[in-house]
Amino acid sequence: MKISRRKFLKLGAAAGGTAVVSAAGPAMARGPQQPDPNWVGMLNDSARCIGCKACQAACKRENGLPPESTLGDAEQFGAPLYDSPRGLSDKTYTVIKLHRDPQSGETTFVKRQCMHCVDPACASACIVGALKKQPNGVVSYDADRCMGCRYCMVACPYSIPQFEYQKAIPSIRKCTFCNEKRLQKGKPTACSEACPAGAITFGKRNDLLKIAKQRIAGQPELYDPNVYGEFEVGGTGVFYLSKKQVGFAALGLPDFDYRPVSGLTESIQHRIFQYFIPPIAVYSILGGIMAYNQRRKKNAGKGGADDEL
Amino acid sequence: MSSKAAPLHQKFWTLNVALLFFFMAGGVLFAYFRFFHGFASVANLNPGYPFGIWIAFDVACGVALAAGGFTTAAIVEIFGREKYHALVRPAILTAFIGYFLVALAVFFDLGKYYNIWHALVYWNGTSVLFEVAWCVMLYLTVLAIENLPNVIEQFKGDRRLPAWILWLLERLDRFCSRTMAFFVIAGVVLSFGHQSSLGTMMLIAPYKLHPLWYTPLSPLLFLTSAVSVGIPMVIFEGTLAAKCFGRKPETELLSGIARYIPWFLGTYLLLRIGDLAWRGVLAGAFDGSVQGNAFLIEFALFAVPYFLLKRKRVRNNPTLLFWCSVSVILAVVANRFNVFLVGMDMGPEWSYFPSVGEIAVTLAFVAFGVLLYKIGVNYLPILEEEH
Repeated sequence: MKISRRKFLKLGAAAGGTAVVSAAGPAMARGPQQPDPNWVGMLNDSARCIGCKACQAACKRENGLPPESTLGDAEQFGAPLYDSPRGLSDKTYTVIKLHRDPQSGETTFVKRQCMHCVDPACASACIVGALKKQPNGVVSYDADRCMGCRYCMVACPYSIPQFEYQKAIPSIRKCTFCNEKRLQKGKPTACSEACPAGAITFGKRNDLLKIAKQRIAGQPELYDPNVYGEFEVGGTGVFYLSKKQVGFAALGLPDFDYRPVSGLTESIQHRIFQYFIPPIAVYSILGGIMAYNQRRKKNAGKGGADDEL
Repeated sequence: MSSKAAPLHQKFWTLNVALLFFFMAGGVLFAYFRFFHGFASVANLNPGYPFGIWIAFDVACGVALAAGGFTTAAIVEIFGREKYHALVRPAILTAFIGYFLVALAVFFDLGKYYNIWHALVYWNGTSVLFEVAWCVMLYLTVLAIENLPNVIEQFKGDRRLPAWILWLLERLDRFCSRTMAFFVIAGVVLSFGHQSSLGTMMLIAPYKLHPLWYTPLSPLLFLTSAVSVGIPMVIFEGTLAAKCFGRKPETELLSGIARYIPWFLGTYLLLRIGDLAWRGVLAGAFDGSVQGNAFLIEFALFAVPYFLLKRKRVRNNPTLLFWCSVSVILAVVANRFNVFLVGMDMGPEWSYFPSVGEIAVTLAFVAFGVLLYKIGVNYLPILEEEH
């Protein structure tokens, strides 16, 4: 009796362990999401950017965003004197920054904004689906649905989503690609329209890729041969071209893997909940052990139901 | 077996309770600013560090440290170690309080807390948080049901209560006695689910989380470490409760159940070292960086009690047993902090250290938990009478 019980427990434990391990074990590679030919995007050519910040101003005007000043805070001066954001924030959806390549010493301007990824980590992470990839390729945000958990900020490899830390009822803020305000009225994004240097091109993602490759082929001595965003983190909706002497990493565009960052979490989730088999298996095993022990207790009479492992 | 438990009925207003209220008042003060003037007025959270100690401690550690509930329930009710029955009720009560506080803390940390019910309506199955939210909600419900018998036992047949309450208690009693087995197992399975999913959470940030913690095995490590901290939490709380309520410590029971700890800890340590060696990142622990040192501290806190608790002499010594349990608890806290804060490199521009306000709110939660426990054991049959 005792030996058989021990054996049973061991078997049960082994089976339970296997179920858990198979559920949480190393993830299988998930097939990447393919970009749709209808998706829109933007091409930021840092070799053409003159750093005038017209795009920055246009973005603030379009979205009704207040200026941010580094000269002093708004309360002190009554109003900020000069819009000079240091980075992206809940009041700044796009920003022009000067970068210097540590190796060549060459400098260039670069525009930062939401990348509108092909397989967005924020949309994968959002608990309520407030961040969503739209049919036209824009990653949209629905403030009414959002719970304000900020998991999207953790998930985004480019740290784009910003949170309104100053507000009592805060929302997430990021580049909207002017989707509702302009795209749906047939107009291009405000920043691309404002650019006087032709550094920002708006269009279909596929067309932009062709344009980018033509520019590289036309001036191979000027451009880095890669189009940033074609494959990085599964592809992005915003592409970057850089000068040959300025690496993408120096522009704040890290050398990311070609897989979407949500691949691992999604496949683990998928495994744990595949047809609910792992939870049901664990439940059944534990139920079996419990039933066995209770019957044994009944057979043995009351009390004395403890023994050594 | 369980009929020996009884309410303590001690004096409620003591110096300790006053102290708890002091901490809670501090939390309420900062909560006012949090809810009416925004996060920036209280917390050091910033664009780089959207998660601070309200997530790392109140939620991640809170969930892990409430593991005493499901581990004790599993050992006693499922694996039939009846000898430790006296430990089940306090463990289940603390687990309920723990999860209740986690739910409350999430409420604090959510920007749009009034939308918390959206998790029930708008489903996004790819989100790890979605799974955590559902498991925590369901488990909190299960824990409430598991605590029902204590309330029923206390008030059933109490003639001072109105008839409809007595009728309700009668009904609930019958419901509980018939379905408790179902809920006990459900509680364990749900715990498996969200304990492991908390380990999956930060895996969405491969370029931010340090390789010492970024591993596909993280869900299993979170689960096994939570199981490991279950019994130490029971010992920790049992020892403190005995001291604070002036009762005889349950040394024999606690030393007995402590012999399972090395098994759980050993499994965890084996997985942890195996994973680090397999991925070839062990060298990162000795590079003198903040993350490397944080890992070494975390690992030592896990490993030392493992070797100590293997000895019967240590387990039978209440003081050593208590400090070994504290070590395991601190190890799990260190691990959760490392995964959620220390191991997260959000770029050179950003750093985070919790503000006074954040710490005050967290302390208020802890104080509130202790107060709820005191109320629980004082007025409900949780602790067994001394014999």
